Amino acid sequence: MIRQLLLVFLLLVATVLALGLGQASLGPEAVWQGLTGGDDAGALVVQILRGPRIATAILVGAAFGLSGAIFQTLLRNPLASPDVMGFSAGSGLAILGAVTVNLAVPMPIVACAGGLLTAAFVLVVARPAVGRTSLEGAPAVTIVLVGIGVGFTAAAFGSFLMTRLSGPEAAEAQRWLAGSLAARDWSDVLQLFGMVVVLVALLLLQVRNLRLLELGSELATGLGINVRKSRLGLSATAVLLAASAVAIAGPIAFVALMAPPLGARIARTTDAGGRMLASALTGALIVVLADLASRAMLPGLQLPIGVMTGILGAPYLLWLLSREIERGEL
Amino acid sequence: MSAFHLKAEALSVGYRDRPVLQNLTLDLPAGQSSAILGPNGCGKSTLLSTLARLLTPSRGKVLLGDIDVHCANSRQLSRRLAILPQFPVAPEGIRVGELVKRGRTPWRGFLSPWSSADSAACRNALDAVGMQELAERPLSELSGGQRQRAWLALVLAQDTPLLLLDEPTSFLDLPHQIDVLKLLRDRIEKTGTTVVSVLHDLNLAARFNDNLVLLGHAGLVAEGVPETVITPENLRKAFDLEARVIPDPVTDRPMVVPL
Repeated sequence: MIRQLLLVFLLLVATVLALGLGQASLGPEAVWQGLTGGDDAGALVVQILRGPRIATAILVGAAFGLSGAIFQTLLRNPLASPDVMGFSAGSGLAILGAVTVNLAVPMPIVACAGGLLTAAFVLVVARPAVGRTSLEGAPAVTIVLVGIGVGFTAAAFGSFLMTRLSGPEAAEAQRWLAGSLAARDWSDVLQLFGMVVVLVALLLLQVRNLRLLELGSELATGLGINVRKSRLGLSATAVLLAASAVAIAGPIAFVALMAPPLGARIARTTDAGGRMLASALTGALIVVLADLASRAMLPGLQLPIGVMTGILGAPYLLWLLSREIERGEL
Repeated sequence: MSAFHLKAEALSVGYRDRPVLQNLTLDLPAGQSSAILGPNGCGKSTLLSTLARLLTPSRGKVLLGDIDVHCANSRQLSRRLAILPQFPVAPEGIRVGELVKRGRTPWRGFLSPWSSADSAACRNALDAVGMQELAERPLSELSGGQRQRAWLALVLAQDTPLLLLDEPTSFLDLPHQIDVLKLLRDRIEKTGTTVVSVLHDLNLAARFNDNLVLLGHAGLVAEGVPETVITPENLRKAFDLEARVIPDPVTDRPMVVPL
C-alpha cells in the first residue's frame, strides 16, 4: 500500500513538472496560480494549453496500463498487451478508415468497434486446432504471434488508406498514428474521463473473476465461475480501455506493454487488484513523462509522444523477446 | 440414497474424433473414498474432469444426487463439489494464506465482507494439512510436499461434501504421499466427506480407499472394494501386468507383487 502511494507521489511530481516545463517554463508558484484560477499569461498556459494535455496524458496512460495488466494476467505472458497484439492498431485503422470516408460517427465508437473486431479476428485465427480441451482456449504465445501479424496487416492497410488522403490530412493522420497529445482540450478530457470511469467500474466488477482465473481454468471452474464468459468479459473490457485511449491520443506504442511489469516492481504487489492499480498509475506516469520529454527535451522541436515511448519501449520489447526465446517460450 | 452420491450414467467422452471413454456407468458411494486406477492414457483424468464438469460428455450424464452436473448452476455446484486439478497454477508471489482464502469464493457474495465462518474454514483447512505456521509464506518458497498440501488446503477450505482430486500424490515422496492419504482419510472419518481421486500407486490406493475403479484401455475393468478389484486377472486386463496379489501384512488389504 505504501508503495502504491509512492507511485501516486511520483505521478504528482511528474504532473507538476509537466505543467511547469515546456517552451515557456513556469515556476511552482505560477503553476499553483494556474491551478487555483489565476488569469495571467502563466495561468492561461496551465489552464488552456498544458492542463488538458496532461490530464489527457494521465487518463490515456492509466487506460493503457489497465488494458496491458488485464491481458498480461489473463494470458500469463509479459508480451500480451493491446499494442503488441495489434488491437490498438485495429482501433487506429478503424479511425483512419472513418476519416477517409468522412463517416459521421463519434471517434471513440469507431475505435472501440475497430479494437473489438480486431481482437475477435485474432482470437478466431488463433483458436486451438483439433484435439485441445475446450476450456483452455488458444495458448498465449499463439495469440500474441497472431496478434503481431494482424497488427502489421492493420498498419499496412493504414498506409494504403493514407495514400487516399490529401497531403495535409495525411500528415495529420501520420502524426496521430504515432500517438499525439498535442492540441487536446477539456472536452477531450471529459470524454475520455467518462469512458475510463465506466470501464474501470466494469473492471472492478470483474477483478474477482480475474483472481480466480489466475489459478487456472480448471480450479476457476471448480470455484464456480464460468471461465469462458469471464475471460470474454475481461478481454472486452481491456480492448475497450485501450480503444478509448487510442480514440483520443492515437495508438501510442509500448505503454500498455511496459506499465504492468514496471508497476508491479515498483509497488511490489502480487494481488491482481493491486497490480491493476499499480499498472494504471505507472502507465499514467510513463505517458506524462514521455510527453514532457517530447515537448521539452529538444528546444524548438515537438516530437510526437509515440516517438518517445518507442525509444523507451523498443529496447524493452527486444529484451523481452530475447528472454522468452531463451526460456523456450517462443 | 444420499444427495452427494455421485453417479456416471452411460458416459462417453472424447476429444473431437478420438473417443476416450465409452458407455461408462459408475456408482461412487457417498461418505467413502474411491480411487480411479489404470494405465497411463486410459482416461483416468478425463473421467475425473468429466465428473467435475470440466469436460462435457458427448453422451450420457453425471448425477450428483439427482442433479445433472453438466446442466446445474456452476456456482451452486461449487458449494458441493471441489476439484483439485493435477497441475493447478499459482499466481506469482501468492502466499499460502491468500491461496487458501480463494477456496471460500463459492460461499461469498459479491460484496459480502470476510466472515468469521470464512476465517474458521481457512483455519481448519490449514490445520488439517498442518500448515498453520506457513500461512504467511509465499507458495513458491515451499517444498513440493508443502505446496501440494497448500493446494489441498484450498479445496478443503471450499468446504464441500465432495472432493475430486487428480493425482494428489504425484511428485511426492513416499512419506508425503502417505501424509496426504492419511489426511484425506481423516477428513472422511471426521466430516463424512466423499473423496474421489486419481491415483497411481495400486498398493497405496488399495490401502487407503474403500472403493476402487479400475480402468483399462478398453474401458471399465472392475469396480468395487479393493479385494474384488485388485486380482491377478484384473491387473492383466487393465495393465497387461503379470502379478501375484497377497494380503498386505499390516492391513490385510490386497498388495500387488509384480512377477
